[in-house]
Amino acid sequence: MSEKVSLQILLYGVVCLAILLFPLVVNDAFLLNKFSRYLVFGMLAIALSLSWGYAGILNLGQAMTFGLGSYCMAMYLKLKTVPIHTGSDGLPDFMVWNNLTELPWVWAPFHSTAFALLAGILVPALFAGLLGWFMFGGRVTGVYSAIITLAAMVVVNLIIVDQQGYTGGFNGITDLAQFDMFGFEFDAYSASTYYLVAICLTVALFVALAVTRSKTGLILQAVRDQEERVRFFGYDVALYKTFVFSVSAGIAGLAGMLYTIVMEFASPTFLGVPLSLSIVIWVAVGGRRSLLGAMLGALLVTGVQGALSESEAFLETWTLVMGGLFVLIVLLLPQGLAGAFQSLAARLQPAGKISTDKKTSPDKKTESRDSGKTAHAGETA
Amino acid sequence: MDFVVSQILTGLSLSSILLLVALGLAVIYGVTGVINLAHGEFVMLGAYGAWLLQTQFGWGLLASLVPIFILVGILGWLIEVAVIRHLYDRPLDTILATWGLGVMIQQIVRLTAGGELRYVQMPPSLSSSVNILGATDSAYRLFVLGFSLVLFALTWFVYRYTSFGLRLRAITQNRSVASCFGINSDRAYRMTFAYGAGLAGLAGALISPLKSVSPEMGTTYVVDAFMVVVLGGVQSLLGTLASSGLLGEVTGLLAYYGNDTIAKALVLLGIVIIIRFRPQGLFAPRVRA
Repeated sequence: MSEKVSLQILLYGVVCLAILLFPLVVNDAFLLNKFSRYLVFGMLAIALSLSWGYAGILNLGQAMTFGLGSYCMAMYLKLKTVPIHTGSDGLPDFMVWNNLTELPWVWAPFHSTAFALLAGILVPALFAGLLGWFMFGGRVTGVYSAIITLAAMVVVNLIIVDQQGYTGGFNGITDLAQFDMFGFEFDAYSASTYYLVAICLTVALFVALAVTRSKTGLILQAVRDQEERVRFFGYDVALYKTFVFSVSAGIAGLAGMLYTIVMEFASPTFLGVPLSLSIVIWVAVGGRRSLLGAMLGALLVTGVQGALSESEAFLETWTLVMGGLFVLIVLLLPQGLAGAFQSLAARLQPAGKISTDKKTSPDKKTESRDSGKTAHAGETA
Repeated sequence: MDFVVSQILTGLSLSSILLLVALGLAVIYGVTGVINLAHGEFVMLGAYGAWLLQTQFGWGLLASLVPIFILVGILGWLIEVAVIRHLYDRPLDTILATWGLGVMIQQIVRLTAGGELRYVQMPPSLSSSVNILGATDSAYRLFVLGFSLVLFALTWFVYRYTSFGLRLRAITQNRSVASCFGINSDRAYRMTFAYGAGLAGLAGALISPLKSVSPEMGTTYVVDAFMVVVLGGVQSLLGTLASSGLLGEVTGLLAYYGNDTIAKALVLLGIVIIIRFRPQGLFAPRVRA
């Protein structure tokens, strides 16, 4: 067992090292910016894999927490431009256009760097914590929790679009200052920003791995497979689910902050339905029950998408191909590429080892039985 | 007085569209347990069908309803055979697969019909306005309201009073036991999916003169329809009727006092709270577990 764990950590480490060493090979500012973006998506995939793959909570509103993180960073960077744009005691330009006369109280604390950085992680985590406690406390599961997460995201999106004076409305928060810290300037088109994203990604990956390896992580996996039984053992299932939901949101919030630095704006599309569903696709393609698989799935899908969208011919058909591939993966590889890889590896191992591997590898039959409708069929199968 | 009537009429008009779109979704979800995220795309296909028949072949909207119902129904049947039937024991995966299908349908339409907005003409016989208790409403909106109620009644009748409906209800209760009694549940599921898809196509055709037709139009409807079905209670058709009426009226009222966006946000928030406390839906019948 321990041999297997260290092998996994080694594998994770090698991938992270490859990502960190990437700028040594490529030194093109435009490419680095693009890859920083993909890495941010990879981080989002880790966040969803944590809640969906390990705890069975399909979050169709993952982009909500991403967007909140992104807006926190954008508010901070926007306030830094105020002295240049509208004078030392002025307001962000879009507030002036919307006839606001003083800075809204929610904006005021974002003058502080420490507050902004903490808020980018803690605001999404708290938000998800509240929503999670509200849902899981009421034993809402499966399809219903998926719908609640989706609806909650749409609500936040509608409010952001509507409150133009506070949030920039449809246009989002644009024209931001450059992020800098400890004397480092994080120009979106530089290796420093790439390193920033890559280091955060590595940290997030290993934090998530530690969570899944902990006792809490094991209980969560048990909850995913047999929620009722875990409850009968006396565990507060809602508390565990809320916890993992918040951690996932915190990682997504961090990803959102980095995305604002990379993209140099924040927009309501960051917390839209299309992005949310895209995250689900990446994770499903890569393998929801493997953090590394989910992350590589995101890099793979967005990378191929980026490459193909540059050629005129594929720009339009790409979405079509993507949709078709996705349907095929759902049908044929329910555990994604990582799952296929694992079962292939298990098959290639010497006979003696197979039995122990089967115990640890996820059981395909037990997945997604969270709908009450098929629970009976699942029990008897 | 006429203000109250016109408020109610606005709400009813919203309700009838919600009912039209949600009915097909409710039928599929209620019987098979499949969450069909491609439903919005079926609606969009119906709208494009109306546009195509009108501009290319000069058909009136009313004449094109039956062919659209049949064509989108056949498409639903094909999709069930190709994809959905493999996923009945994986309900969360149906969300993913049908979403993928939706993306494909949307892109195919965009590639063949173009991305720009299209417009469908109202039937000339229904383009006048009607006076009801001092308030005016367009005849077409009233027609849509009536049509959605007729469709609902028809579906309810089939479900409640025909032998096919009896078999469907048996399957919803317990699929394996129903199969033991010789009910062909595979065939029943297929028919249900095709019927639900056909209803979506019909909804799209009927909505098309009221809104502009675009490849993205489906996505806006599917979330709303979902909320209606969940709010009403998954296995209750009457619940779908009641909740679409409720949601339409509440949205209409809130939109009058505040603005559209906040009205929508408030309605969604209300639904989130309702699901939390009544996951079985507001109007779900009591059943023995």
